[in-house]
Amino acid sequence: MSAFFAHLDYATGGLWPYIVVIFVGFLPSEIWRWVAVFLVKGLSEDSEILVWVRAVATALMAGVVAKLLLSPNGALAVVPALWRWGALAGGFVAYFAVRRSIVAGVFIGEALLVLVGYLAQH
Amino acid sequence: MSPWRHVWAGIRAAMGMPSFMLMCSLVGVGGLCRDIGYPMGAGVLSTMLIWAGPGQMVLFGSIAAGVALPAVAIAVSLSSIRFVPMSMTLLSLLQEAPEPASEGRAAKRGTPTWLMLILAHYVAATAWVEGTRRLPLMPRETRIPFYLGFCNTVMGAATLATGIGYYLIAELPPALAAGLLFTSPMYFTVALAAGARRAIDWLAIILGFGTAPIIAALAPPGLDLLFGGVGMGTLAYLIHRLIRARAEAA
Repeated sequence: MSAFFAHLDYATGGLWPYIVVIFVGFLPSEIWRWVAVFLVKGLSEDSEILVWVRAVATALMAGVVAKLLLSPNGALAVVPALWRWGALAGGFVAYFAVRRSIVAGVFIGEALLVLVGYLAQH
Repeated sequence: MSPWRHVWAGIRAAMGMPSFMLMCSLVGVGGLCRDIGYPMGAGVLSTMLIWAGPGQMVLFGSIAAGVALPAVAIAVSLSSIRFVPMSMTLLSLLQEAPEPASEGRAAKRGTPTWLMLILAHYVAATAWVEGTRRLPLMPRETRIPFYLGFCNTVMGAATLATGIGYYLIAELPPALAAGLLFTSPMYFTVALAAGARRAIDWLAIILGFGTAPIIAALAPPGLDLLFGGVGMGTLAYLIHRLIRARAEAA
């Protein structure tokens, strides 16, 4: 199979990466946004089903955040796990401490992480 | 009244933290794209078309690992199923329902499907956390221009960052590179807290976050987010129903 794709790569010249992005990346992903358009038609934002859908979306978002820290890719893996969670908790506390400021939460969490990452390397 | 005032309000809301955060996380995608020998344009196109950091990382990361392309397409698609509930919540806040003609007012046709498809394309984590937090407080006719101003600004910033990251990421010291990747989990954590208005929101956040390690260990690979989201979101909803029923009975 990979030989087949190698031939396609050759036959399409320099455009192969763009074809991959469109057919392997864009379309398999975009289809779910289209599904949502047809499911949401005529639903009011206050409807009971959307209360449930919103709870699912919120739990998904929280899961995405946890996953980014649980199995970090690339450079973030340099920082030991306990410290990743520590920096996240620090930023979260800072958000509430500094009058619910998103900017303060992000920058303080970020500063903690970069500091620990630097110390872990030296 | 001109819609451009609301477009501008959206642009202003996007500048600052949302754009900064997206730039930090898309810089890494540019680097991944370079690692597999794809041209810079392919990375930039992936940001504009896929518009999902995790999906782009799955795409370039799996290609780097030598996974066959049909399997890569399935993995990307699985990572994007979360757009169904996310787009439904956002689109419900944006769409205008058709209205029959009433005294002195012509009938309204409601938001056309082509526009809904365009609006849906911009749905991703950033638009979701900012949109669910800000849109309910705004008059309905101002929401779509605000949303388009916001989304096009963050997408422009992210696209620029993908191109910059393509050339720059390898030059960064490791601690700073780790900091770049940390921006998005940190931002989403505080932005989710900022957007949580009711008990059900907090329940969903705490359950989704807290059970993630267990679900990641038990669920089949690639399906952990979906299982966790549907399972914990439904649990949060059921608890919310239970609390409401008790409050009504009392």
